[in-house]
Amino acid sequence: MKPVYLAGRGLACALGLDVQASLAALRQGGVATSRYSLPGALGGSFPYRAIPCPRGDWNERARDLVRRVAAEAGAQQIRSGALFIATSSFDIGGVEQGTAQMDYTSFSGKVAGWLEWSGPVYVINTACTSSLNALIAAQAMLNAGEVQDALVLGIELDNQLTMGGFAALQLLSPGSSKPFGANRDGLVLGEAVAALRLSAHDPAQWQMLGGANVVDGSQPTGASAAAVVSMYQRALAASGLAANEIDLIKVQAAGSPGNDAVEAQGLLEAFPKIPSLVSFKAAMGHTLGASGAAEIALLTACLEQGAWPKYEAAADTELGVVLAASAPDRVRHVLATILGFGGSHASVILERA
Amino acid sequence: MKTFAISGRCIAVPPSADWREQLAQILGAKPRRIGIWAELGLYGALRCLVDAGEKTLPAEAQIWLGSRRGTYVATDIVLKQLREDLPMPLAFLQTQPSQLLALLAAQMDWKGHACFVAGAEPEAILRLAAAQAGEDGMLLGWLDEMDGGVSSWLRLRPCEEVTGGFQAVAAGAIFSTQISHLRLDNTGLKVRPVA
Repeated sequence: MKPVYLAGRGLACALGLDVQASLAALRQGGVATSRYSLPGALGGSFPYRAIPCPRGDWNERARDLVRRVAAEAGAQQIRSGALFIATSSFDIGGVEQGTAQMDYTSFSGKVAGWLEWSGPVYVINTACTSSLNALIAAQAMLNAGEVQDALVLGIELDNQLTMGGFAALQLLSPGSSKPFGANRDGLVLGEAVAALRLSAHDPAQWQMLGGANVVDGSQPTGASAAAVVSMYQRALAASGLAANEIDLIKVQAAGSPGNDAVEAQGLLEAFPKIPSLVSFKAAMGHTLGASGAAEIALLTACLEQGAWPKYEAAADTELGVVLAASAPDRVRHVLATILGFGGSHASVILERA
Repeated sequence: MKTFAISGRCIAVPPSADWREQLAQILGAKPRRIGIWAELGLYGALRCLVDAGEKTLPAEAQIWLGSRRGTYVATDIVLKQLREDLPMPLAFLQTQPSQLLALLAAQMDWKGHACFVAGAEPEAILRLAAAQAGEDGMLLGWLDEMDGGVSSWLRLRPCEEVTGGFQAVAAGAIFSTQISHLRLDNTGLKVRPVA
């Protein structure tokens, strides 16, 4: 089995248009939240973490962001590798503008065309866990020697369908995201385009060891503690590690009253000693299908360059877990988790050389 | 090179006229408010399991699902609702293709790896799945609700003992009653006709 390295990364999110700008904004305590208005008597205005570039034609904006982020990750070197597009909303923003059609083949062809991609293209859609499942699939293809390079490209951009759907399900906070917070009251959604370049031949300081995805249909819109525990156990087994070898967990912790509690319960059951915990949801919003790639891009950069998110909300002491106020001194093994719609629970584990 | 034996299948292109009645019979009741995408998917997947003689999947088996247009009908409905107000909550859930994976997992009382791949050819999904699937194999499905509907599923198990009799085919041809084994190698997809 060939080792798989994280050889490049790119990120555009509410914090900035690239990794360095995002780190700089994080160091300064984050950026102001914008608002998103929805129609009708049940609609209203909700906080939203938008990428700081003008909204206009959906396709043109998506094309520019995809090209920018892919270039930052070094994708121009691997256009014959495998491209894994991870999204929960495809180009539905373009459909809403009348400039795209609801056809997956057209969508994947369009994105591949933007990048002049010549290798195989896969579009992974497992709602919020899409990017992590794309990473798991890409690692398997690299391990098997099917491809030598892969780009996982998370795309989650402005569209009314997603915002309206989450509002209809009453999952959105009216104010702010409070991960593991005492007064947490829902999610704040956000935009992100993120790229992780994986290589089987280009050693880098981060190696992807393994991952796991557990679908549990008992809670259609939320997580289950049994599945969270199973996810951790399977991810650890796939990586050849024990629970006490994990130094840091990037948790889902999106500020959901129910899901945050379930995740905390799963942590307490799976880890006899809870590792340091970090969440980026308050800083960049929940970027859904792009969140796995976006948060790993930001997390690895934070650990390399000494940045860390600040949490303003008071912690919920009843959860029994707490987010770390600063980066741990030594981090070798990082576990990154995303929990999502469709009962999907996914984690991947990275090792730092 | 990887070889899979087909231990069960449902080839519904299109499904029979009474597929909803058949689904209700399998479930023990008529499904409610899950949408045509999920109903059609459950119909094919559960019939495939019955054909394989299984009530559920082993814990380490995987579910892989592909489609060209996915939840087109539900998405179109929600986009129209959004012109005036928020969509109905369940209508929004029906726009998420992966909701079927959760419903199927719940129906089988199963927890495991399941993934939706949008737009790729069945062969490409099989290649992706084969890189991850272990000895318990997979349930591989292709689903579309447009143009009369398609719900075709194969229960695949790794099988290395069969060596000869394979021939090259087009990607879509894997969903056939005339095939007993699938093989992926460096030259592409091959199938072994039923003896």
